[in-house]
Amino acid sequence: MLAAARKVIYVLYTIALMAFTIWYANFIYPIIFAHSDSKHEEQLEEQKAGKTEEELMFEKFLKEQKKTATTDLGYMVIKEQYVKGHFHHVGMTIEPDIGNVCIKCHGAVPHDKAKAIRAFLNMHAFYLACEVCHIPPPQGQPNWDFRWYDKKTGQVIANPPGLVTTEIDKYGNYGAKIAPGVDENGIFHFINGKKERDFVDEYLKKKDLLGETEQSKMKKVIHRKVAEKPMLCDKCHTDKGEPYLPFAELGYPPRRISALTSTEVVGMVEKYKKFYIPKFLLQEEKGAGEKGGEGQSDDLKKGVPAGI
Amino acid sequence: MKNMILLLGLALLATVGGVGEEVFAADELNCVLCHKYRGLSRVDKEGNFRLFYINEKMFKKSPHSRLKCIDCHSDIDEIPHKPAKKVDCTKECHLEEPSSNEKFSHKPVSEILDRSVHSKYDENGNLKEMAGKYPEDYPHCKDCHDNPLYRPLSFFKGEAAGISRRGLSRCKTCHTKGEFAETFYAHVTSRLQKMRSPKEIVGICAKCHGDPGFQERHELDAVVTSYQETFHGKAVHFGSEEAPDCIDCHVVSGESVHFIEGRESPTSAIAEGNVATTCRTAECHADAGENIAGFQVHVTYDKEKYPLQHYMLKFFTALMAGVLYFFVVIIFLELLRRLFPNFSFVKSSGTDEHGH
Repeated sequence: MLAAARKVIYVLYTIALMAFTIWYANFIYPIIFAHSDSKHEEQLEEQKAGKTEEELMFEKFLKEQKKTATTDLGYMVIKEQYVKGHFHHVGMTIEPDIGNVCIKCHGAVPHDKAKAIRAFLNMHAFYLACEVCHIPPPQGQPNWDFRWYDKKTGQVIANPPGLVTTEIDKYGNYGAKIAPGVDENGIFHFINGKKERDFVDEYLKKKDLLGETEQSKMKKVIHRKVAEKPMLCDKCHTDKGEPYLPFAELGYPPRRISALTSTEVVGMVEKYKKFYIPKFLLQEEKGAGEKGGEGQSDDLKKGVPAGI
Repeated sequence: MKNMILLLGLALLATVGGVGEEVFAADELNCVLCHKYRGLSRVDKEGNFRLFYINEKMFKKSPHSRLKCIDCHSDIDEIPHKPAKKVDCTKECHLEEPSSNEKFSHKPVSEILDRSVHSKYDENGNLKEMAGKYPEDYPHCKDCHDNPLYRPLSFFKGEAAGISRRGLSRCKTCHTKGEFAETFYAHVTSRLQKMRSPKEIVGICAKCHGDPGFQERHELDAVVTSYQETFHGKAVHFGSEEAPDCIDCHVVSGESVHFIEGRESPTSAIAEGNVATTCRTAECHADAGENIAGFQVHVTYDKEKYPLQHYMLKFFTALMAGVLYFFVVIIFLELLRRLFPNFSFVKSSGTDEHGH
């Protein structure tokens, strides 16, 4: 019995050593052949290899997204997000938002069409889930219950400390976003929670199994809760009545609430509305929905939240 | 004028409203009301990510923190503003250069760059043929520079990175107002060393010189990889501040770092007769002989240009592969034998067909 066990151990040990030998042979290969005179030519060939501009840009973005910029000040080393051609230091890296279902197709910087306000809209998309503005509560229903979720996990979290203490470099950058949900019998769930995210993941994997018509049908189904017109700035930045987002409940300190609903911000929103917000975005614009405004994106016409 | 009054009015409102409590002196117009938000951004038509975020803490560590936003972004004259134009670094700003009492500008730097190998123009002021074909290959300020950050040094009790609080306390005895003493200290001591670590410098040059397409267009060798394989390159890779980076060898000692000349220029730091002098600066190999100029930094394995190195590489690669893989195969076969001690491709001659 003991002899048999020893034999098994001996055989396993020998097999393990053989596996290590193969791994080692593989491991030393790039080290031995790293200094190749043809490497430069290979890189050049790869660069040129009859690729379209779009293909080359895709490869460039793949490389760039992994880059971080490092600045060594001697007494501290700053690691930050790399933004090509950006002069000012960002001073931080940004965590991906896995809790957002829309980002899977539309990306994290989706707003582009309304020239004067697109950067502002993207700014809000940094700490508000798309659903906040693009999925209003059904008519006659009470407002959503809004909570913060952790961008890394998608889970509900308490009001972020960076907001509560109003740290100087934390404006909007809490590693969290506000998203709408409902509280059913004491159990809160986001309107686009884990279940919906998993479904969209599954759909994206399998969508090629569908016919072209069915793909268009599914696109409508997935976006059916999305309003034709998004919520506008003055729903929250208002000094008249309750803002759409319950700032106090979400942890905004009184000083921030008064700033967000102050003459300064509200006045600027009004100024934007008057001079810059395209008519197609305005709810009250009669017939705007049917006609579609100048420069209106195809996505918007379909009720898709991207491309505003 | 009307717009400027509006700007000032908004700034005043911000201060009264309490939003601007953390706003630095440089931001009298309260631009950070919006630009303090990290998400303020968009993607432009060419697919570039345009980030409009200002990290105030970082900005405050830079020499530009003494300026107002509109000193550089001078075309902005209203809030909300339209897309701003590219900043012209050569414009005069409101600061006075203390030694000449003239308005400060980066124009002299631009003029030096115009005389360097990186200029789009030749010595007669004509556009270089390659610059006409590939203008993006010739650097502008922002291609090499992001907002510089101070790298202060302390000499109070030995040399160390950072501001010496005890040293600074001497300055603050007289210079009490605002942050003058801190800024002055950081500015001067940062200039006593490189504003960027050698590793960062190599990374900046590599943005162009490490690109195989760029090398081919300008008929240049793979100078970054060849440098990285030298002793100097390895030391810099492991964080040395003393080992030379690109600038140390390609700029004549005492010249502006923006004045890099090509090898063919007789005054260049790397011209054939000048290499030894470049190596023998006081900070590097001060006592070295003439032969130091024989050290080839940018050797590649190109068969035509460097045949000796090419065949040496082939020889050593073959030697290393031969030795290592020989033993790897031997060990593998030895282990195989241990697993199957009696296995043989040849039938044993001691047995007949009946097994006797």
